[in-house]
Amino acid sequence: MTVPVQRAGDDGPAMSLRGLVKQFDTKLAVAGVDLDVPASSFYGLLGPNGAGKTTTLSMAVGLLRPDAGQALLLGYDVWTDPAQAKALIGVLPDGVRLFDRLTGAELLAYHGLLRGMDPAVVDQRAQELLDVLELGAGNRTLIVDYSAGMKKKIGLACALLHGPRLLILDEPFEAVDPVSAALIRDILQRYVAGGGTVVFSSHVMEVVERLCSHVAIMAAGAIRVQGTLSAVRGKRSLEDVFVEVVGGRTSTGSELAWL
Amino acid sequence: MTFVRLKLRILKNGLHGQTSRVALFVLGALAGVGLAVGGWFIFALAGLLGSDRGAGIVLPLGGGALVLGWLFLPLVFFGVDESLDPSRFALLPLRRRTLINGLFVAALAGIPAIATLAATLGMVETVRRLGGLGAGAVEFVGVVLGLLLCTALSRAVTSAFATSLRSRRSRDVATVVLALVAALLGPLQIAVLTGAERANWDRVAEVAALVGWTPLGAPYTMGLDVAEGRAWAVPIKLVIAVAAIGGLLRWWSSTLERAMVGTAGVSRRLPTVDTGLPVARLLFRWLPRSRFGALVAREVRYWWRETRRRATLITFGVVGIFLPVMMSISGLGAGPMLLFVGALAAVNLANQFGFEGSAYAANVAAGVPGRVEVRSRAAGFSVYAIPLLLVIAVVTGFVAGAPEVIPSSLGMLAATFGVGLGVILPISVRAAYALPDSTNPFAMSSGAGLTKGLMTFAGLFLAIIATLPLQLAAYLLGDLWLWLGLPLGLGYGAAAYLLGSRLAGDQVDRRMPELLATVSPHR
Repeated sequence: MTVPVQRAGDDGPAMSLRGLVKQFDTKLAVAGVDLDVPASSFYGLLGPNGAGKTTTLSMAVGLLRPDAGQALLLGYDVWTDPAQAKALIGVLPDGVRLFDRLTGAELLAYHGLLRGMDPAVVDQRAQELLDVLELGAGNRTLIVDYSAGMKKKIGLACALLHGPRLLILDEPFEAVDPVSAALIRDILQRYVAGGGTVVFSSHVMEVVERLCSHVAIMAAGAIRVQGTLSAVRGKRSLEDVFVEVVGGRTSTGSELAWL
Repeated sequence: MTFVRLKLRILKNGLHGQTSRVALFVLGALAGVGLAVGGWFIFALAGLLGSDRGAGIVLPLGGGALVLGWLFLPLVFFGVDESLDPSRFALLPLRRRTLINGLFVAALAGIPAIATLAATLGMVETVRRLGGLGAGAVEFVGVVLGLLLCTALSRAVTSAFATSLRSRRSRDVATVVLALVAALLGPLQIAVLTGAERANWDRVAEVAALVGWTPLGAPYTMGLDVAEGRAWAVPIKLVIAVAAIGGLLRWWSSTLERAMVGTAGVSRRLPTVDTGLPVARLLFRWLPRSRFGALVAREVRYWWRETRRRATLITFGVVGIFLPVMMSISGLGAGPMLLFVGALAAVNLANQFGFEGSAYAANVAAGVPGRVEVRSRAAGFSVYAIPLLLVIAVVTGFVAGAPEVIPSSLGMLAATFGVGLGVILPISVRAAYALPDSTNPFAMSSGAGLTKGLMTFAGLFLAIIATLPLQLAAYLLGDLWLWLGLPLGLGYGAAAYLLGSRLAGDQVDRRMPELLATVSPHR
């Protein structure tokens, strides 16, 4: 596939979040997140379930209006200048349905035209993506009948299609089988090597440790630690740091004795 | 009882902290009270006036109308409250009997059921005044049976229709069946109407007596039979009503089982090889290869591929053709019905954003401008609606034996459709709501059926009011209208549509994330 050509010489962070806050009814889901993602970094956002990762990323890409704060994508504020900001990013939301009554090829064509791309380029890239991601260029199955892993892959293809400079992926490896996961890792690594920036959320330590140049650990709606992988990890394993930062309980062996 | 508690709990949690939903619920409850009180007076009037004959007409026909209302209103307007989605119970160790009974009782715990019961208590009052306490007690039993019949009927029919809509072949069968039922209503309606027109109450009374012996009217006439000294009829009518309820429940139960097993999804096996480039596969040949074209193409495919939309479309097609044709046949003229049908077409878009739910996120993330979004949706639906309106105009013209009115009818349809869109598009942005992830295309989450009904009626009402100038013109211009109707109607409708879509588009631009949040089902 074509790795999109990146414009060189951009300074400043690719994504910059300032004091993002979101309150749902009575629950404070995100309590003031500040995050700087350097350009050309592979950034992992870690956190346990319910930490506010999805909420944060949704606010960062313009899907959820924050109660307070600012989200800058490649220098454009996604809430005051949405057209500019949204044109430059690719998004894979989690827990959101795709237009699943279309076939894979139709969905890609839809996304391409929605982004204002030239139809000929859409055709060429869409077929290449379907081929590389092993979704079958001639497949007429509707996406609603895809497996969970295939849905993730077609979602990723939609995010990549217009050659964005910043990819924001929510749980891209969830429900993906090991073979596909390796393929996705490979594609993303090439994308970053070509100058793109990837931000993704996950709670799988191994993936983050293997891929990321930078990590941030989130818990209870706030960023607890952020920095380069080596700075955050130190001499310990990422998992140990994570459990310590999040404050998980360790098993004493006495509970659930009836199991 | 557990099921009722579960349903009330779901309702309570759904209302928790959502001011607008609480307001809607209260509004719905008030509407229910209003209908109940109004219905009570209508049904009790015969008793208050002491008219045996009036009771003999109002009770069976009114009761029959209620039952038919329970049959058609969920299909056309409201959907069924499926806050207890049957497929959620598939894994629980429940016997089917327990499940059906539980769901049935839970279905009774709702505003429509309570309002119906309250209204029909007016019948009990009538019978009590005419025939004393004993007859009143019998009528009470009948009224309760009638409520059970209504509920069982609406559940069974929506469930069966939903099940049959799932496969391509039987979908067409379901359409035909629904059309036939609608067609069967015609002769009955004509008989009653012509009878009423000629003030021929004897004939109406005959029809009413006949209806009293069908499941439609049997439960509602039991007490009356006692009052009029035909107590022997009561056991027979009891059997008729109970057998009807039992049969419906059995039918419901069998379709429900298919629905529960089928939730894994019936995948349509299409030929797996398709040559052709992606863009050409998405777009139809007549669409521009642009953003607008892509949006319209997706809408057009969705109206056919998604069961919920397809059900809406098919129901509208059947209702839209049969109502005006029936009115033409009965000699009342299709004019008023055309107003209704044009607006009804637009009303199908009232929750257009709710249909695909959170998938709308793709358009938000891509930053589709509001006006493009709204207009592409209207265009996608019009691909189906405009030919249908054309057919309606032509068919009613010929049925009425006056083909010369076809152009002006078309003008009126275009005007009401355009005005309807102008009214409904802004509503669809402001009052969107999430639909449950159910396999039943008629399923609604608790309270949403009411929203849908209110929006539908508000849209219809506003659209019909807004076309008043045109109706006035049609009346004043006389024969000239036959020529001017089409251009005037087209212009009027187009102007209203442009205004409404502009308004709606600007609202979308302002409220895109909020809109996405309201149509995403809560997880």
